[in-house]
Amino acid sequence: MIRLENLHKRFGALEVLKGIDARIEEGEVVCLIGASGSGKSTLLRCINGLETYEAGRITVGDRLVDRASPQIREIRTAVTMVFQRFNLFPHRTALENVVEGPIYVKGVPRAEAEERGRALLDRIGLAAKADAFPGALSGGQQQRVAIARALAMDPEAILFDEPTSALDPELVGEVLSAMRDLADSGMTMLVVTHEMSFAREMGDRVLFMDGGLIVEEGPARQVLTEPKHERTQDFLRRVLER
Amino acid sequence: MIEFLQSARSYLPILLDGVAITVGLTVAALVLSTALGLLWALMRYSGIGPLVLISKGIVNGVRGIPILVQLFYIYFVLPEFGIDLTAFQAGAIGLGIAYSCYMAENFRAGLEAIDKGQIEAAQSIGMSWGLMMRRVILPQAVRTVLPPYGNTMIMLLKDTSQASVITVAELTMKGQQIATSTFDNITVYTLVALLYLALSVPLIVLASFLERRFAAR
Repeated sequence: MIRLENLHKRFGALEVLKGIDARIEEGEVVCLIGASGSGKSTLLRCINGLETYEAGRITVGDRLVDRASPQIREIRTAVTMVFQRFNLFPHRTALENVVEGPIYVKGVPRAEAEERGRALLDRIGLAAKADAFPGALSGGQQQRVAIARALAMDPEAILFDEPTSALDPELVGEVLSAMRDLADSGMTMLVVTHEMSFAREMGDRVLFMDGGLIVEEGPARQVLTEPKHERTQDFLRRVLER
Repeated sequence: MIEFLQSARSYLPILLDGVAITVGLTVAALVLSTALGLLWALMRYSGIGPLVLISKGIVNGVRGIPILVQLFYIYFVLPEFGIDLTAFQAGAIGLGIAYSCYMAENFRAGLEAIDKGQIEAAQSIGMSWGLMMRRVILPQAVRTVLPPYGNTMIMLLKDTSQASVITVAELTMKGQQIATSTFDNITVYTLVALLYLALSVPLIVLASFLERRFAAR
């Protein structure tokens, strides 16, 4: 469903992505792991058109991801994103955050959008917080609202950019369980994460990135428990020793 | 004191005519400077090369020229190019343009204070630039912009007195006229000062009301 071919991206003199080839099929949960600076987040941001890329191509379904084309907005509603720092709209309530896109981008009638929005908040266990502003919510609650906001667009896939990295440790679980619920429902997910337990348990496949390249990929259990590549072994040893 | 009140009673009707002009000029220049200032700030914020350059050029160019000189230019020079304006029009346009640059800088500060993550979040759900500005960026920028905006509004009110040099019969000019014919400088300028103060107070109240209203969330 999402296809990357020979993707190159540089920031000035620094080449961040050095030729990425990858495919994410419908319904798959793919986890992207690797040290910071390896290009994981940049890769994710390219798929959503938040970054341009110099060479190669990204397609979502049969649509080419091109930041300069007006079609990019349609792609963004089809592949939404959950950010490390939540990025909720602070001047709007939880429910307003969730229905903002459906109402103003997709033109869904307000009553219908709000009914659906409340159902989504209920699904992530925050029905009681519908009228709370983000500032009054914990990090974990904010991130769950952000997941509901992404879901409200009825996306074909959701990209997660280190969704639990900015959270206090005791709040990580509630966000992971919301993501688990999502994965079980068959949502296509590409997740940049440092949560190896989540990757092992929920990931259909794991891609390991290092130095702007996908060094190793395969079924989650295999990559995480019997990595073939030396750099993957090094990385996992360092992560698990933490 | 009795004498002051008696004189005040005879001067006030004339001065109040001036107040009406001052208020009209302030409102007209405020509307124009807010609209233009927002335009300059949005051009700058758009990040589109030529628009950024034009905006910077206007803001820095106009800020570098005294308001008096701008007023003279609009009132005395433009007619030579066939653009005839009444004194009031010239004053409103001159002050509006001059103040649009201060407004633009206020707005720019407000826009740039917003976390870049907000832009990404808006884009990631497919918002267009215009929708993002309207629904996400501007409502948040308002909070940061209101205190300096209120301040600029009060400065503008007081700077309308400069329009007296191009014959706009506003409060300061009316005061001058009475003072030169009566030599009653103390009474006249005390009244003029008090009237400006009386005009500023509602603006200060309005600004702090708006600040509270938008800070509530």
